[in-house]
Amino acid sequence: MTLAFVLDGLVVGLAVGSIYALIALGFALLYKSTKILNLAHGELVLFGGYLAIALTRALDLPVLAAFGLGVAATLAAAAALGFVVERGVMRPLFGQPLLSVIIVTLALGYIIRGVMVGLWGGDTRQFPPVIPADVVRLGSIPIPRVGVWSAGVAVALLVVFSLFFRYSLWGIAMRAAANEQLTASTLGVSLKRVFAYAWAFAAIAGSVGGILIGLWLGVNFALAHVGLKALAAVILGGLDSIPGAILGGFIIGVLETVVGGYIDANVVLFGIPLQGFKDITPFLVILLVLLVRPYGLFGTEHIERL
Amino acid sequence: MSVRPAGDFKTHYAADMALLDTRLYRVGFLALLVVLAAAPVWAGRYLFLLNTIGIFAIGAVGLALLTGFAGQISLGHAAFMAVGAYTSWYVTTRLQWPFVAALPLAGLVAFVVGAVVGLPSLRIKGLYLAIATMAFQFITEYVIIHTAGGMAGNVVPPARIGGRVFQQEADFYLYLLLPLWLASGVFAANLVRGRIGLALMAVRDRDYAAQVLGVPLLYYKTLAFALAACFAGISGSLFAHYNRVIGAEHFGIGLSIDYIAIIVLGGLTSVWGPHLGAAFVTLLNQGLRFATPLLVAALPGLGKAATPLREIVFGTLLIALLIWEPGGLATLFRKLKRYLDLWPFPH
Repeated sequence: MTLAFVLDGLVVGLAVGSIYALIALGFALLYKSTKILNLAHGELVLFGGYLAIALTRALDLPVLAAFGLGVAATLAAAAALGFVVERGVMRPLFGQPLLSVIIVTLALGYIIRGVMVGLWGGDTRQFPPVIPADVVRLGSIPIPRVGVWSAGVAVALLVVFSLFFRYSLWGIAMRAAANEQLTASTLGVSLKRVFAYAWAFAAIAGSVGGILIGLWLGVNFALAHVGLKALAAVILGGLDSIPGAILGGFIIGVLETVVGGYIDANVVLFGIPLQGFKDITPFLVILLVLLVRPYGLFGTEHIERL
Repeated sequence: MSVRPAGDFKTHYAADMALLDTRLYRVGFLALLVVLAAAPVWAGRYLFLLNTIGIFAIGAVGLALLTGFAGQISLGHAAFMAVGAYTSWYVTTRLQWPFVAALPLAGLVAFVVGAVVGLPSLRIKGLYLAIATMAFQFITEYVIIHTAGGMAGNVVPPARIGGRVFQQEADFYLYLLLPLWLASGVFAANLVRGRIGLALMAVRDRDYAAQVLGVPLLYYKTLAFALAACFAGISGSLFAHYNRVIGAEHFGIGLSIDYIAIIVLGGLTSVWGPHLGAAFVTLLNQGLRFATPLLVAALPGLGKAATPLREIVFGTLLIALLIWEPGGLATLFRKLKRYLDLWPFPH
């Protein structure tokens, strides 16, 4: 493992990680305020990517204008989807056992992915060239321009979200509900609204992630797996910690690129080359974290009493 | 007509312990068995459906024990099935051992793997356990692809006992699947009524309280995983020898979710649930496979949209059922029975 390889991996990993962090933010946000882990989050990523590409291609405008409009419409659609899901599916299930909720989110993922694939087919779809597909150099390290952009957007959005939670009334209400649902509810926080907003924001975060990945690599139906990588990030960071999710995203991105990439290319175990190891690195991280520190780096340790 | 006497008139323990406690049930079950055994006569070329239902019902019985009765969520059931299938493949092709050794070995290996995977369930539970088992699922897929030839598909010989080869649908069904299916169902039904089943349910309802009451958590949680995996392993072995070709794509995360769908649709805490669910899901799959081309022919504009029809229908059904009838098909049947009991009076 040469220094150049590590540095390259570090930079690319941070760029990828910023997208994971954004998607992971959606997970953590939703879990924190509703105690629901949305296993359909990957499909929300898919939703954003597909819809934005379709809209950008459909609008008969200069590329950048079409892209801007398309993204705005996609985010609005994502928020609407979040509201619909909350109202139509999650609210009737309020208070149901955990298994039902997990299955419902899985089923939701099935439906969203089915509709997406049904509408736009299973092939990889690309944005029209919005950002030039060249490589910029950071010192001596090459990095795709799209990577820089996505990292920038991801970081900006993370800042916006954290400011929202810190200073806006809705953000404060959501934090209150997340902290102590019952108390917040008795003090006048409408849990229904908080849940609806949490779903909308999670969908938006996922969609932005999908758009960024679409800009970089294009989208196809296998993209839902990115949601699972982001899941690794939230597990690592601690399910109910938003800074943890963000940090986790960066760590997973770097780990995957550096360690996974290295093993992928170089390690032979019992005569079997470990190709594609990169793709399961996040799952190994999940297992390791769950075994050693189930509540993650910054999550609340759950203490059970009778 | 009353299905059940209006009171408890049992006079000896044997009657109290009976699995089928009224004459109607006994006659009904016997009739069901006769119908199932006569399937090669009436099912004709659709016998493969019963074979598929049986194979997945055996796996689903295991998952119902684990999730329905012990309350441990697993999103990696297909991986256990893969363990059984590939054990069977390895034993019959590489080691050249007979099928009669491969089938129990597949169950045994899956049992051990299940116990190991189940160990963390003492520390993590609920959501975290679901995620851990999902990770196990993906890692198993990776291992299969990189060690056993994976995507290319491995050819498995047909099941053979002594000089008899179960290559025909009817042979496989009558002499191999049906007895195993029946045995697994009865075994599970008895298990959940006994000491182990009661312990598992205690663990499900409140695991810490169960431990305080003297139920060893580690033992029962691990046992639940191991048993579930064992059922899945046997089902995997049957699948391998039935399908004759196995590949990583047969045991993907999609199948794990299908398994969850099977037990949820069938009814989580019912002995009949996994069987009803497996039948329902298999028939629905087949129906959709049949209906999709017709739909496309009728509405050509639909074209692409019809391909993922199965996923959309499955997802919608699951959500609708969980919202309106969380007990699944088994509860629907129970309601129907009660309705018939009281008919024509509403209460």
